[in-house]
Amino acid sequence: MYAEFDLHVPADMDAALAALAENGARGPIMPIAGGTNMIVDLRARSVSPRALVSIAKVPGMRGIEIDDARVRMGGRTTVSDLLRHPELGQIAPSLVESARLFAGQMVRNTATVAGNICSGSPAADLVPPLLALDAEVTLASRSASRSLALADFFQGYKQMQRRPDELMIEVSFPRPSANATNSFYKLARRKGDAITVVGVAVAMRVEGDACHDVRIALGSVAPVVLRASGAEATLEGQPASAERIEAAARAAMEAVSPIDDIRASADYRSHCVHVLTRRLLTEARAQLAREGAGA
Amino acid sequence: MKDAKIIRLTVNGREREVGALPNETLLESLRGLGYFEVKSGCEKGDCGACAVLLDGEAVDSCLLLTWTVEGASITTVSGLGSVDEPHPLHKAFIDRGAAQCGYCTPGLIIAAKSMFDNDTREPSEDDMRLALSGNLCRCTGYTKVFDAIDEAARIMRERG
Amino acid sequence: MSDSAITPRAGANVDFRQVGKPLPRIDAPGKAHGKTRYAGDYVMPNMLHAKVLRSPEASARLTRIDASKARALPGVACVLTHVELPDRMAPTDIPGQTGRKRLDTDQQILVRERVRYHGEPLALVAAESAAIAEKAMDLIAFDLEPLPGVYSVEDALAPGAPVVQGADNIVSTYKVRKGDVQAGFAAADTIIENTYHTQFIEHAFLEPEVGLAWVDENEVINIRMSTQVIEHFRFIAEAVGVPHNKVRILGSLVGGGFGGKEDITVEIYLALLARATGRPVRLCYTREDSFFGHGKRHPFSITHRTGFTRDGKITALQVDMTADAGAYVFLSPYVLLYATVASPGPYRVDNLHVDARAVATNNMYTSAFRGFGAAQACVAHEQQMDEAAKALGIDPLELRRRNFLRTGDPIATGVPIESAVWSDECMTRAWDALGERSEERGPIRIGRGVAAYQQSYGRITWLHDTSEAWVGVEMDGTVVVRSGVTDIGAGQVSALAQIAAELLGVGLTDVTVYNSDSATTPLAGTTTATRALYMTGNAVRLAAEAVRGRLLDRAARAFGVETNAVDMADSVVFVRDRPQTCMSLTDLVATCASEGIHRSELVMFRAPFTDGIDAETGQGRVHPDYAYGAQAVEVAVDTETGEVSVLKCIGAHDVGQAINPDAVEGQIEGGTSQGLGYALSEELIYENGKLVTPSFSEYLIPTAMDMPRVQSIILESRSGVGPFGAKGIGEPSLTPVAPAIANAVADAIGVRIADLPITPEKVVKALASAGRGP
Repeated sequence: MYAEFDLHVPADMDAALAALAENGARGPIMPIAGGTNMIVDLRARSVSPRALVSIAKVPGMRGIEIDDARVRMGGRTTVSDLLRHPELGQIAPSLVESARLFAGQMVRNTATVAGNICSGSPAADLVPPLLALDAEVTLASRSASRSLALADFFQGYKQMQRRPDELMIEVSFPRPSANATNSFYKLARRKGDAITVVGVAVAMRVEGDACHDVRIALGSVAPVVLRASGAEATLEGQPASAERIEAAARAAMEAVSPIDDIRASADYRSHCVHVLTRRLLTEARAQLAREGAGA
Repeated sequence: MKDAKIIRLTVNGREREVGALPNETLLESLRGLGYFEVKSGCEKGDCGACAVLLDGEAVDSCLLLTWTVEGASITTVSGLGSVDEPHPLHKAFIDRGAAQCGYCTPGLIIAAKSMFDNDTREPSEDDMRLALSGNLCRCTGYTKVFDAIDEAARIMRERG
Repeated sequence: MSDSAITPRAGANVDFRQVGKPLPRIDAPGKAHGKTRYAGDYVMPNMLHAKVLRSPEASARLTRIDASKARALPGVACVLTHVELPDRMAPTDIPGQTGRKRLDTDQQILVRERVRYHGEPLALVAAESAAIAEKAMDLIAFDLEPLPGVYSVEDALAPGAPVVQGADNIVSTYKVRKGDVQAGFAAADTIIENTYHTQFIEHAFLEPEVGLAWVDENEVINIRMSTQVIEHFRFIAEAVGVPHNKVRILGSLVGGGFGGKEDITVEIYLALLARATGRPVRLCYTREDSFFGHGKRHPFSITHRTGFTRDGKITALQVDMTADAGAYVFLSPYVLLYATVASPGPYRVDNLHVDARAVATNNMYTSAFRGFGAAQACVAHEQQMDEAAKALGIDPLELRRRNFLRTGDPIATGVPIESAVWSDECMTRAWDALGERSEERGPIRIGRGVAAYQQSYGRITWLHDTSEAWVGVEMDGTVVVRSGVTDIGAGQVSALAQIAAELLGVGLTDVTVYNSDSATTPLAGTTTATRALYMTGNAVRLAAEAVRGRLLDRAARAFGVETNAVDMADSVVFVRDRPQTCMSLTDLVATCASEGIHRSELVMFRAPFTDGIDAETGQGRVHPDYAYGAQAVEVAVDTETGEVSVLKCIGAHDVGQAINPDAVEGQIEGGTSQGLGYALSEELIYENGKLVTPSFSEYLIPTAMDMPRVQSIILESRSGVGPFGAKGIGEPSLTPVAPAIANAVADAIGVRIADLPITPEKVVKALASAGRGP
């Protein structure tokens, strides 16, 4: 390829963080994990790093651990790893569904959880489910590491909280309770390997009649993947009646600020946010009712 | 100009060394070594023509920097079997007429092989379509590709 | 309905041993094992790598171009701009060996002054590596002064519009005046008028354009490349300024063509650079280059005004069609002619009035694409039939049945169709194969649609098309076929081997085909226009029959019987009634060789030759013959999101005689997927002439998740003009698919979306405007 850069392939985390710490005035040093976005960007010359730090050989950053409280994924966990995990599909069907419809097999085998988040793209498919699951990300630098809510990580279009010397080493979310559900719908112009036109993730839990911890996250309809907090509030603590679901879906539609692009118009995206939010909430209610009845 | 580095790879079971610049992709390295069965179709991960097995998993070789796969084991479609001893996928693709222009065929076979090895030996219709959704084919409409993969699965089942 | 008026042609009564069998193609093992070498897989010592610098503007004046910095970059061997080029143009007319005067449609090789489309080449670079060549492109300084452009046919036809081509941007017109349209409309009980639109479409072959050129010791420019047309060597010679016999094209197996490698792509650039540098030069397009580097499928606007009697007979049809030819003429006149001929579809229309025009714009030029105008025509006539059926209250299949052509009926151009017209059988069988209707659930609506077509195979008859082939038997009884035909993935070469194997009594793997070399294989003409099997198949058949005849004559003498009592199979020659009287093919060949009996034959097959059609009426013969068939589909439409899923897809086609049924199915399956993309997801978007979808993540061809398993129904009327009564299937397989899907969507949601592609968004909008929203 034409783009020129230095490449570091450190063998451990310390060396990787040390290499990233060299960031400075001489041009950016950027981490590369799966590279499925980075290589495309390099070819298109939309990024021009002085050097890349590959974490391909850094041990311990790949894998999924699940205990009673949390689901933890190493930053280099691949999208296929999510699909192949024996339990994750039960615990986080929304995340697994987004992984299933993520690009094509070869990209799924390479692309990583942290890489998808750090692409900063509003169309990043893992992000809506992770937001709806209240995910937290852990960033490490040579000097410190910190964790923050994924919801706070995104600041604007391709603007994120990651400092240039930081690496996203872990993504985790609380294990949903038994009376909870989460789901994701990807709408695209083609069924296979397509960029998302609208992505909707929904999560909630019921106690008695009332919905709690309602989360609605929307992809490809704003400069960042966003939480529709107004829509969430419409349902929070309330029974999920058809009227309230409709009100929440409308509120979700009002929360978005989509653009017209080659894939769809803003109006269509808004329409689909409404339709799909309503659909997922309705299905969630039905599923929880079934499970409640079965319990 | 940055300096090239000697990178060691095992390709189709054979130790190979390639001198690569930091910006060289695995696709470029493999073709440079003469593995022309690894095809270039888009260099953006959109088409799957360049798929190879990297330590047993299908990857787009156009999206990997060669330096980052030092020491890895690479398998191309030619490494799965020979004309005398074809892999069931080779045989099924031939017998079922699954190759037309053939340019996407190596990638499709690699994707199918990876599915069998890493995901499922008995793919459902959905599994198969998902496994192949990163491999564009413009000639076949995929129907005979599906038939060939069904056939290969059957052969492998019978072999146990 | 079986058309009993059709009797099988000579040859169809052969008791086939090879033909008609679903044998693995001879090219299959190489492809499955990754051994096939495509044009991009060849390297030469001391080879340079080339790149093409393209205009970022669609309509502009080049006021300055300065390559001095690029030439100074270490590793750059050569930069060519218009300044260095001889004062020559690149021919863009239909290629081949017809000897007919070509259209006046030449194109500048590199921009001299005026840029007419986004991506038009400004300069060529050859360097020690592709990366250096790319870097050199950044160093070429140029100034483009924007010029007003026309980016739609409406703009191009407006009074005072900037002229892109010709005097008024109209680069071609055709008309048909047949019968009395006024009287036909007067006799109609109902008149239905609708306009249908199609979009720019990309071929999206997986192998980008690629070639490797070198000048040899005889000053011959050799170009090994991916092309459908090795006969371009003449145009290349003229563009470069050398005699015809100093350019040689060596084709490789082609990684997909579909019409997109029918025009010249990289050849002239390679020839110029190889001559300028004296070194081998390789030029391999990136995917983005490929999106900019070859002509697209024409967008058409087609208005049908159709008169029907109450019981559904067509009384008159008036068609008005306009195609966007883009910035250069290329094959637009021919595409427009095909669309004109196909405009009424497979229906008998005695009162027909067609006005067709192709209009130049500052969009990408448009040219050949599988279906070649007939596909666009089918999108219109088949949607119109469904709209008419709805208006008349007649079942859409029944309405078609009442109007289908029959053998002997005149087609649009007034000449009678001579071969079988099995439209009804194909349509009925495809429809029946849909089986149980899928269930509707929640917002999901199910719809079904059908489409029938008429598609020519073989070239326009006034191009006086010919094809040559050489067939010989080696001393060990193996068979060699030599033919210039290019194999673009459909199994063209394997089909020739199967025909030769059939006639010479050997197995398919006993035949080797040498093909696609303009210097050493007899020229077969292009692999385009669904003509390869028809033309070259016939040439191989005739050559093999001649060799067979001589071999059987000699064997008959040895056996003391009449020639027609002798047969050959499994490399043995025998008396048919007493097979124990036999000799091996090897022995027979040895005998022939020792007696000086010719074991080979070179044959030229000629298509029907005509002189053209009447310019005022459009009446006269245009093609050797036509193929007929139909598509049936079932779709599911999500009425809330507008998403369309194609659940079932059946193509039923009368192919005359399947040479290899597996290969025929492959054509039907692949044509179906291209048609599905045409209907639902594919669209090149030009914004003020600028392409904004130059990648496979923006231009969406169907994936394995989008395609249902396609069902093929192969009918064999044995009535075609190809070998053993074959017709063609390459283009016909695609043509009815998009309108069948459009009809199914309309059936599902009750609203017609008359412009392709039928995106989810258009579905939602159509439902909303019809008040049928969820």
